[in-house]
Amino acid sequence: MNGPSFVLSAFVVTWLTASLRLAGPVLLAALGETFAEQSGVLNVGIEGTMLLGALASFLVSFYSGMIWASLIAAVLAGIAANLFLAWMYVTIRANQVVSGLVFNVFAVGVASTVYRKAMGDSALPESIAMFQPLHIPGLTRIPILGPVLFGQTILFYATLLLACIAYFILFKTNLGLALRASGENPAAAASAGISVARMRYLGTLISGAGAGMAGGYLVLAQVGLFRESIVSGQGFIALGIVIFGRWNPLKAAVAAMVFGACDALQLSLQIFGSHVPSQLLLALPYIVTILAISGLFGGKAVQPAALMVPYDRE
Amino acid sequence: MARLFERRLVPADSPAAIMATTSAAFLAAMLAAAFLFVSYDASPFQAYYALFHEPFATLRGFGYSLVRASPLALIALGTIVSWRSGFSYLGFEGCFVVGAAAAGWVALLTAQGAAIGPIPFILFLPLAILAAYLAGGAWAGIVGLVRARLGGNEVLISLMSNYVAIFILQYLVSGPLRAPGSLPESRLFPKGSWLPFILPGTRAHAGILIAIAAAGIVWVLLKKMPLGYEFIVTGFSPSAARYAGIDVGRRLLLASFFAGGLGGVAGLTEALGSQHRLMDGISGGVGFVGIVVALLARLNPLAVIPTALLYGGMSVGADAMQRRASIPSSITFILQSLAVLLVLAFDVLRYYKINFDFRRGTPSSTAPQVSE
Repeated sequence: MNGPSFVLSAFVVTWLTASLRLAGPVLLAALGETFAEQSGVLNVGIEGTMLLGALASFLVSFYSGMIWASLIAAVLAGIAANLFLAWMYVTIRANQVVSGLVFNVFAVGVASTVYRKAMGDSALPESIAMFQPLHIPGLTRIPILGPVLFGQTILFYATLLLACIAYFILFKTNLGLALRASGENPAAAASAGISVARMRYLGTLISGAGAGMAGGYLVLAQVGLFRESIVSGQGFIALGIVIFGRWNPLKAAVAAMVFGACDALQLSLQIFGSHVPSQLLLALPYIVTILAISGLFGGKAVQPAALMVPYDRE
Repeated sequence: MARLFERRLVPADSPAAIMATTSAAFLAAMLAAAFLFVSYDASPFQAYYALFHEPFATLRGFGYSLVRASPLALIALGTIVSWRSGFSYLGFEGCFVVGAAAAGWVALLTAQGAAIGPIPFILFLPLAILAAYLAGGAWAGIVGLVRARLGGNEVLISLMSNYVAIFILQYLVSGPLRAPGSLPESRLFPKGSWLPFILPGTRAHAGILIAIAAAGIVWVLLKKMPLGYEFIVTGFSPSAARYAGIDVGRRLLLASFFAGGLGGVAGLTEALGSQHRLMDGISGGVGFVGIVVALLARLNPLAVIPTALLYGGMSVGADAMQRRASIPSSITFILQSLAVLLVLAFDVLRYYKINFDFRRGTPSSTAPQVSE
């Protein structure tokens, strides 16, 4: 292969591979969040939930070495944390945004305290066993697309599968209909015999499971160790992806790829020594999201009508 | 069937009831944190002594408490203006950053040989405050405009806009404003642009005076001025406000501008009072903590300064606690956030009253019984 085209294809391969790699965890968190928001709960607490999931998976993997058990631990930690959040959102009917934001601070405190308790004060970051890229034989040899599409970890393919399942549940089953009704018109849903509280608990717990697993994804497939800064805003990015994907799991998958591509583009451009300010590329997904939800194009965003509105039966 | 706890139809909202649930929440959070201290083989009393002694009983520590409290109080005041007007703005992190950048830019312009050159502080300060206020106000005002004219959701838009502001500052300090050196930060501001230190022997600066003045202004605005009254009506019920002839969209826009401006001035106090240069990560989450302070102060402008001082002081005390008793400062995050979460959760208690006659099986006369 001659010079420039080799550099170009190397660039495209690193860029696209990194795009998909970065898209995985945020997509997983966004899929869960879609359920919460469709049920009428804006769960801002997924940022903190991801951190707790990351911690749980790291500790279980560190002490047991069982990689799948660590992933399950992350999911369980996410569900447990969001049981509390669901209680705040649905039973107490506290302001959802505020509870979620404060919970994120709480999660940072808990995660860093527990991590230091478990690992000791001076412990250097310890790395653990990680999911390896699959490198499906044969298919990886396809130029450009091969390494990009077939060189990801199993978690990535599982996430894509979950996106399809999430779409099916939300839009093709009675459960999904009941969930969406609770977020669209809770009073009508209740008069049709749906327990709005139960649906919202379910939505919040699913978002906990998704965010917890996303935290585990970060540790087990990307970083291999735990840091307090491991999540650093990715939960909020997931919120953006949900909106950008218009509360639809399949569109969220596309949105996550766009976010991942912008993020990866600035990384790749830095590696290849470009002079475009990396911050512009980093800010691009947020600017696009803001424009998408501003109502500037094509009318208002079609958010669930009762999003953030607590429902009181009485 | 009479019960010990009867549900009220409306929550008790007397000051006594609010004080009681708030203190109960704080006590419960402190009790929970006490168990954490015990797990570090520390006496909870000593730990709490360390947590509160340094920030409030030593001069140096108190100075740091004031430094931390100033931006928190200003952001809390911005939160009060916007949330009371029904504008659930969460973008104070962004306002803080653009305000700091604007104030810092003016400060750098007054350096020797720069565009403006050295000017007296009495001229410089109004100019810097104006720049920070306009920057923060415009930053939030855009979101207000989107909400008022296009109906976009301000919660999500403002959350996203924080990142854009942070990247703008990151770009400025790693590009146009970067000082020679390895770190992405601006030059040190000229000394003539620093906020004066107000307590000898401490780092306390005039930012806290700005915050106190702002608290007074916000109180007058919301309690004494027709405009503030219209803000509050708009917040309570936009349709009632519209019926009363209030231009709801314009009030939202104004409120978002006022609120964002306060967030911008918060950035000014941090840049000109404490850091004396612009750097990446100057905000460090203060835009969110300020919102929490406003909530703890129950959106009351007069309660903001003491609450901000308490909250800022606790983070100073946390560092002292970590140094002295080797208790990780992260426990203070747990204590602070747990207190707020419990304040929110205990609000539900105000929906209940204790029925002392429940054994006799008669419902108390004042509260209607809830049907089963």
